[in-house]
Amino acid sequence: MNGVRVGNRIIGSQSPVTVGWENIPRVEGGPVKQFIFTWFQPTVLFALIAFWYYAPDSIAKASTAIGIGIAFKVFLLALEWFFPRHESWRLTWKELTTDLFYVGLGYTILRAVEHYIGDGAMIEAIQGYFDLDKFTWFLSMPLLLQAFLISFIFDFGQYWMHRGMHNWYPLWLTHSVHHYITQLNINKGAVGNPVELFLIGLGIGGFFDFLPRAALLAGAIGMAVGTYQHINVRFNTPRWWRYVFNTTEHHSVHHSQDFEASRSNYSGTYIFIDRMFGTCVDGEAELLGMEGGRRMSISEQMTFPFTEGWKTLKERFGRAMPVPAE
Amino acid sequence: MNSRLFEWIWHIKGSLTLSPGQTSEEALDRLAPLFRQTGTSHERGHGTLTFRKKDPVAQDKMSIFDGGVLEIERGTGGLVLRYHLVSRALLYCFLAPLLFLGFAQLSVMLGQWEKSSASAAKEAAKSKGEDAKKSADVPMHWIDKALGAPEPEKKKDAKDKSESKGPSPKPGYVFAGIFAALYVAGRILEERLVKSLFRKTLSGEDTIEATRGPEQFSAST
Repeated sequence: MNGVRVGNRIIGSQSPVTVGWENIPRVEGGPVKQFIFTWFQPTVLFALIAFWYYAPDSIAKASTAIGIGIAFKVFLLALEWFFPRHESWRLTWKELTTDLFYVGLGYTILRAVEHYIGDGAMIEAIQGYFDLDKFTWFLSMPLLLQAFLISFIFDFGQYWMHRGMHNWYPLWLTHSVHHYITQLNINKGAVGNPVELFLIGLGIGGFFDFLPRAALLAGAIGMAVGTYQHINVRFNTPRWWRYVFNTTEHHSVHHSQDFEASRSNYSGTYIFIDRMFGTCVDGEAELLGMEGGRRMSISEQMTFPFTEGWKTLKERFGRAMPVPAE
Repeated sequence: MNSRLFEWIWHIKGSLTLSPGQTSEEALDRLAPLFRQTGTSHERGHGTLTFRKKDPVAQDKMSIFDGGVLEIERGTGGLVLRYHLVSRALLYCFLAPLLFLGFAQLSVMLGQWEKSSASAAKEAAKSKGEDAKKSADVPMHWIDKALGAPEPEKKKDAKDKSESKGPSPKPGYVFAGIFAALYVAGRILEERLVKSLFRKTLSGEDTIEATRGPEQFSAST
């Protein structure tokens, strides 16, 4: 397998990766299906922006956002079932149950931990220190600009945290578990070692809770773009969308079994951050995972960073230990 | 206590009558490809097949099972395939509601603790004569006014914020319910699916393809 040169790197020399948008298949079917799968993503994004922009204060609440988020995911699960991108990524009972276990952890124990020792606690401390008046310059900007900046700053932080995870071994140990997923489905973003889920959840998103509408708009943008990272559905994504936003194609390259391909497309929402720093690879991959596609059990996912870390420590320091003379 | 009382939770048992004229070896030959999958090992005995699975790939049609025994016996109406399959995935799913109820209970305890510490802090502030800071009015940009966006809501007082409780137990209860429903669905669905898989494989309706795994990967590249 030769792979394709992208900048200084050879992509797809270890596992098949399709490089270049012109080589990616389009949605098959009649004109109605083509129309729906071309305009679905932009329509949902702009509809959500309009909703959160104009909704009265009595509706524009976090509980409404949670309700919309759940309904959106249920709809996308149905879309995955009826229009799968790859049969090899089809959701099974076991995959769904595993994914929901991690979603459940995120809503319960991880949320509690983050509240006390994660960004929730840090943000509360920072907010207590600063006065709201210090942010008047931010508050006086147009609402949509505030929303874009909130989501951009959050994604910029996520980009570097994610890139750090792929480049610094202790962080990689926690993140590697997420790379053992062998297929993309709506809830696969939640799958990973809890330590990584805690680290990746650190961000400044909650900092802007004094701007409820801008924060809700930012959340809606993140949801209407980021959710497609892990989806088993093919869309005819518009050219401008895939230039600006992350897509399932980009993220499948990131999850490819090909090592060089996996070191690309780190952002969650704005793929142009990857373009800015030279880590973007436009393309797609079907064969995903690590160790040639070995599926990891939940128990191994929970312990892997610690057992692997221990093995590495033993190898490194075990070798340096003096051997007694005979 | 008799373990058989609980075994049904993660053990699936069933039987299928073989077609007239089909021998036990022919039947096992037909079923054997089901066990030539990534992470699966199997042994054939006289009229029996025993298998084990470790980290089966997602699209393995029997991926929820960790092991089991298939036996061909002589029944009243001819030869019968009897199977006994074990699934830890079903057991963990059965137990998952308890875990999430535990998380919900933990949230209740944390909420009570936060409530008591918040009221103590409130009392302390009161005795010091501190007033809650008045929040500034949030300005609105002229573009938003022109586009007709609603007026921004006034920021909640610090007093309201201090009364906010810790994590809610509601998600814990919801996920306990989701996993209870998933268990019931999985226990019924997977039993039916495996029976249908064996029936179709025995009759030759279903041809089994090896799932892609580490060893197939090198061949496919």
